Amino acid sequence: MVIKYLDKFPKGRNARTLWVLKPMWVTLKKMFKTTFHRPVTIMYPYEKEWLPDNYRGRPGLIYERCVGCGVCMRMCPTKCIEIVDSDDNGKKVQRPQVNLGRCMMCGYCAEYCPVNAMIVTPDYELAAFTREELIYGPRKLAWPNPTPGMEVHLEEHLLSDPERGPVAYHITDRPELNAGKCIGCTKCVKVCPTDAVEMQTVGENDKGKPIKVPKFDVSRCICCENCVIECPKGAITIKEVL
Amino acid sequence: MMPDDRTMWITMGPQHPFSHGLWTLKIRADGEIVKDAEPVIGYLHRGWEKECENRTYPLIIPMADRLCYSASMTWSHVYCKVVEEAMGIELSDRAKYLRVVADEMCRIQSHLMWLAAMGTDLGNLTVFLWALRERELFLDLNVKLCGQRLTTNYPRIGGVRNDMPFYFERDCLRVVNRFEKMIWELVAMMDESSIFLSRMQGTGIISRKDAANYGLTGPTMRGSGVDFDIRRDDPYINYDLLDWDVAVCKDCDSYGRYKVRMEEMFQSCDIIRQAMAKLESIPKTEPTRIKVPRRVPEGTHFARLEDPRGESLMYLVSDGTDKPYRLKVRSPIFVNVSASKHFVNGVRIADIPAIMGTLDMCLGETDR
Repeated sequence: MVIKYLDKFPKGRNARTLWVLKPMWVTLKKMFKTTFHRPVTIMYPYEKEWLPDNYRGRPGLIYERCVGCGVCMRMCPTKCIEIVDSDDNGKKVQRPQVNLGRCMMCGYCAEYCPVNAMIVTPDYELAAFTREELIYGPRKLAWPNPTPGMEVHLEEHLLSDPERGPVAYHITDRPELNAGKCIGCTKCVKVCPTDAVEMQTVGENDKGKPIKVPKFDVSRCICCENCVIECPKGAITIKEVL
Repeated sequence: MMPDDRTMWITMGPQHPFSHGLWTLKIRADGEIVKDAEPVIGYLHRGWEKECENRTYPLIIPMADRLCYSASMTWSHVYCKVVEEAMGIELSDRAKYLRVVADEMCRIQSHLMWLAAMGTDLGNLTVFLWALRERELFLDLNVKLCGQRLTTNYPRIGGVRNDMPFYFERDCLRVVNRFEKMIWELVAMMDESSIFLSRMQGTGIISRKDAANYGLTGPTMRGSGVDFDIRRDDPYINYDLLDWDVAVCKDCDSYGRYKVRMEEMFQSCDIIRQAMAKLESIPKTEPTRIKVPRRVPEGTHFARLEDPRGESLMYLVSDGTDKPYRLKVRSPIFVNVSASKHFVNGVRIADIPAIMGTLDMCLGETDR
């Protein structure tokens, strides 16, 4: 029998004579303490609790960084993110829109975002009168003062140790082309959010027309897998670098 | 029912204050004595295992959190463990000890939740409030470490989500030290109260042999004198490198199970302190998370660990894709509640809440 806490416990006659007085004494002490002690609760709407840096509230978006690749949409466990058309100074761009009615604040969108545009914000007061209000568009997702702690990195820490400093985020997976399957349709070029794919002429076919295959610019690729999904012939795969 | 039979079936639940969650205990009562009992579960079935088959491996971690609201850390841990075993990944020491800290924090707060529920079952509202007051500090630690109070989403395949924040060690040790002082108030309210003892001692007896035969696990089994703890007997995440004792009690009754859980809280405090000391000696440059492949090689694997409620096990069948072919959950409470007939046989109806309360019911993981 390994129950040690009872060894430290007053046993025998003494404990028995105090059988009901001891608990009453404990509660009485607590009553005096709580009467004169400062309140342990906070007046919620007027004062709010301090939140740590890695608190996971609703997702936020840093609009300028986003490239609209759709990784957040695909990684969302509850499928609450949708990529919608948005207007960036007159230019038509793709940006995420979050349905907070479904969101479960897991922080995966921020974690898997390859450009750290999705962040987790400390916003937890999300009550709304209608369901439409809960659908946060790209502009509404913005957060006034995003700090580095709100970015969650896939293979890296949070800001756990200030002395350690930020560690650069590396995307090591790369798309790979199976040239035998490629039909040169240029869909991967159109779908790439960072313009990392361009067609390259590798030769001529029997009729003298150029054969073009995509070439991936490794320095610009963020490994969003859009080209893999879009490819009609399954010619592009992701090569995992572990 | 036979016409000359004086017994009758009484249905307790699903909306009954004694059933922590949605389940029904049908009892056959002869006057006030329980002659037979039958648990009915399944009200909370939401197809968890089937849902997992449509999701890629990382997306199941937040779902595993939601199997049980107070043991979310251990459930996502056992899921990550089975995938790591299938992939053949070895964690870094830092990630291992961070998981130890997170698991033990989860164990303490889960046991405190149980103690609070136990208090209300026995009509002791003071214990409920005080236990939840202590639990709040551990939930605050959860926020600091993982970002959320209950649905922690902290373990990842190949490590943990983040390293511990700055000053977390100081805060954690302060909470643990304070908790070890304050828990004596709870002990005074429970162990020294003869009302509590008279309701706990000698009721809900399940012998050592029966406990092993019915497949009970966790504190329920150790309260019957079976000396078995997966943390010690099948060690994972460096539990074998830490110095602690398995709480075992030979009382075999409700009070024995109560004592085991109380002792486990003290032991968990010790484990947290040791793990923190070990974490200090590990350089902070060691990665807390390593990159893992997306696909799991074909095969079947299982992993088990010590949940606050017993032995939780997950069985994974993978077919080489990035989604599991089958993920089976073995819930400790499912087995423990199946033996409820033997717990309540021969006791009075008024004792049932006190006895079933010591099982620490959680229906989210039972019904899946």
